Amino acid sequence: VYFLLPPNAQSIFYVVIGLASVTSIYVGAVRNQEPGRRLAWYLFAVGLLTQVCGDAIFAFYEIHLNREPPSPGVADALYLSGYPLLVVGIFLVVQRLGRGVSRVAVLDTAVVFLGVALVQWVFFISRYNQAGIGSRWVRTVAMAYPAMDVLLLVGLAQLIVGRASRSTAYRLLLLSVALWIVADELYGLNPNAYVGGDWIDALWLGSYVTWAAAALHPSSVRIAVSDGHRIPRLTSPRLALLALALLTAPVILLAEQISGRGLHAYVLATGGGAIALIVLMRLAGLVQAVDGARASERLARRDAEHAQRLLAFQNEQLRELDQLKDEFVSSVSHELRTPLTSISGYAELLLEEEPSETKQGYLHVIERNSERLLALVSDILFAARLQDGRLKLDLTPVDLQTLIEHAVEEARPRAENAGVEIEVRIESAPTVSGEHGRLAQLLDNLVSNAIKFTPRGGKVAVDLRNDEGIARIEVSDTGIGIVPEDRDRLFERFFRSQAALEHEIQGTGLGLYISKAIVEAHGGRIGVSSTAQEGTTFIVELPAAT
Amino acid sequence: VSAGPLIVCADDDEDILSLVAMRLAQAGYEVQKAEDGDSALAAIRSRRPVLVVLDVMMPRRGGLEVLAELRRDPELRDIKVIMLSARVQEPDVARGLAAGADAYLLKPFKFADLVDKVGELLAS
Repeated sequence: VYFLLPPNAQSIFYVVIGLASVTSIYVGAVRNQEPGRRLAWYLFAVGLLTQVCGDAIFAFYEIHLNREPPSPGVADALYLSGYPLLVVGIFLVVQRLGRGVSRVAVLDTAVVFLGVALVQWVFFISRYNQAGIGSRWVRTVAMAYPAMDVLLLVGLAQLIVGRASRSTAYRLLLLSVALWIVADELYGLNPNAYVGGDWIDALWLGSYVTWAAAALHPSSVRIAVSDGHRIPRLTSPRLALLALALLTAPVILLAEQISGRGLHAYVLATGGGAIALIVLMRLAGLVQAVDGARASERLARRDAEHAQRLLAFQNEQLRELDQLKDEFVSSVSHELRTPLTSISGYAELLLEEEPSETKQGYLHVIERNSERLLALVSDILFAARLQDGRLKLDLTPVDLQTLIEHAVEEARPRAENAGVEIEVRIESAPTVSGEHGRLAQLLDNLVSNAIKFTPRGGKVAVDLRNDEGIARIEVSDTGIGIVPEDRDRLFERFFRSQAALEHEIQGTGLGLYISKAIVEAHGGRIGVSSTAQEGTTFIVELPAAT
Repeated sequence: VSAGPLIVCADDDEDILSLVAMRLAQAGYEVQKAEDGDSALAAIRSRRPVLVVLDVMMPRRGGLEVLAELRRDPELRDIKVIMLSARVQEPDVARGLAAGADAYLLKPFKFADLVDKVGELLAS
C-alpha cells in the first residue's frame, strides 16, 4: 500500500505507522510486563519515538519546504540518540536471562563488537573520514550512523546467543532489530542513491511493525525466561559467532586486496589482534572449565566409592543382624521346649490318676495345646533353618503309597472330629528318592490344611499316580477355596489368607512355606488350583526314582 | 519301693528332674538326682550307677562334658548314658552320639519312651 501512495502521503503514512508502533510498544509494555520489567520496553518506545520524530521532521521538510532538512541538524540528533536507548533496552532483555554478567558473556560481546566494528569501520565509516567531505561536524555525524549500527548489531548478537526459551515475542524482537540493521546497512552502502519512498523504507516499516507485534504478543510476558542453562555453554551459534569474528580481519584484508582499494593495515592489525586475544582468553576460560569439570568428576567418583564402601559395610552388618535374628529364634525355640516337656509330662501323669471325666477333658485340652505349641516351635525353627539354607536331605528310597496311607491314617481322627470324609486313591505307586521325615511332614501339612479349610460334611481326597517318571500327589478338598489375590502369596513365609483370618482358622502361616521348601529340596514343584467356595487342590510333582 | 538297679539323673530343670525320677522309680529303679554336672559326676563316682540320664545344658559342667569324663575313666566307661536335650538340630544329636552316648532323647519326649529306652539299654 505504502508504495502506491504519492510521495507526500508516503511520508505521512510512514510517520503514522511509526507512531502507531511506539504506542503499541507502550501499550504492550503496560499490558504484558510486570511493573519492574517495563523499562526495556519503555526504552524501545522512546528509542523508536526519536526515530519517528526524525522522520516527522523529514516529512515536514519534504512536504512544506520541498527539500531535505539540513544535516547535521535536529533530525540527526534525534535519529542518533535513539540507538543507544534501543541497545540498552535489548541488553536489559538479554540480561534478565542470565542474572549477572558472566566473564564469558563479556568476552563474547567484546569479540562480536570488535568484529562488527572492524567491518563497519572499513566499509562504512572510514570513507567519511576524509577531508573534503564537508566540515568536521558533517563528517562526524555521517560516521555516527554506521557506528550506531555497530551498537545495534552487538545487541542483535546478544539476542541471538541469549539463553532464552525462544518465545514468539523473542523471535519477533530479533526480527525487528535485524530488519532495522539490514535497512541501515543497505542505506549506508550508498546513501546518495536513496530517495524517499525507496524500497528500503519497507524494511524500516517492517521493523516498526514487528517491534510493535513483539510488544503486543502475549508471549512477551515471558520473553525473558532463561532456558535453564546456568552456565553459557559453547553452543554452536556461539561457536559460529566466535569463528565469524575471528575471520573478520583476514576476510576484510582479502576483500580489500582483491578490490584494489587502499588497505586499512593499522586498523585491521589492531582489531584482528584484539579479537584474537579475546578469543584466546575465551579458550583459556574453556580449558579452565574443563579442568574444573574433571576435578569435580574426580570428587564425585570418590564420593561414589565411599558410598559403595558404606553400602558394603551396611550389608555386612545386615547379614550379621540376620544371623543374630536366626540364632535368637533358634535359642528361643529351644528354651520353649523345656517347659513344654514338663507341661505335657505332668498332664500325662495326672491323666494316669484316673481323674473325673471333666478333669480328663481339661487335661486333654492342655495336652492338645502343648502339642500345638510344640508343632509351632518346630515350624518356626525349621523355617529359620530354611532361611539359612541349611536344609540338607538324607536321601533314601521312599514308597509314596505307604507314606500317604500313613499320613491319612494319622489325620483320620482329626477329620472325623471335623466331620470331614477323607479318602486315598492310589492309581500307581511310585517310589521317590527323598528324606522320609520331610516327605511325611509335607503330606501332614497338606492333609491337615485340607481338613482345616473344609467345612463339616465336606470331602478330602489324596490321589497318587505315576505320570511318565513324575510322581504326582494331589490333595484336594471341597473347602472354602482361595481367592485369586491370595494365590500368588500363598507360599510366602507367615502369609495368612483372607479366608483363614475370616474363619479364624489357626495356623502360623509357615506350613505351605515349609512344604514348598521341602518339595523344591527334592527337585520337585508344588502348585495350587482353587475356586473360591468350591475347593482347592494342591499338586505336588516329584521326580520318581528309576 | 524295692531298690532296683541304681540310675543317676541330672537335669537343672527341677520339674523335669522330679518327673524323670518319679517315672523311673515307678518302673522299679533306684534313682539318685543331681542338679548340675559336678554333683552328677560326684554321685556317679561314689555310687557307681548302672545308667546315667544327662541333660545336655547344665551349669557347672554340661552333659557332654560329664559324658566325656565318664568315657575317659576306665572304671566308669561301661556305664550306659542317655542324653536329654532341647537342642533338636542334627549336629547336636551327632555330637552327643559321637561323644559316646548310648541314646539321645529330644525334649519334649514321652516319659514312656524314656522308661522303654532305659529297659532296652539295661537288657543288652
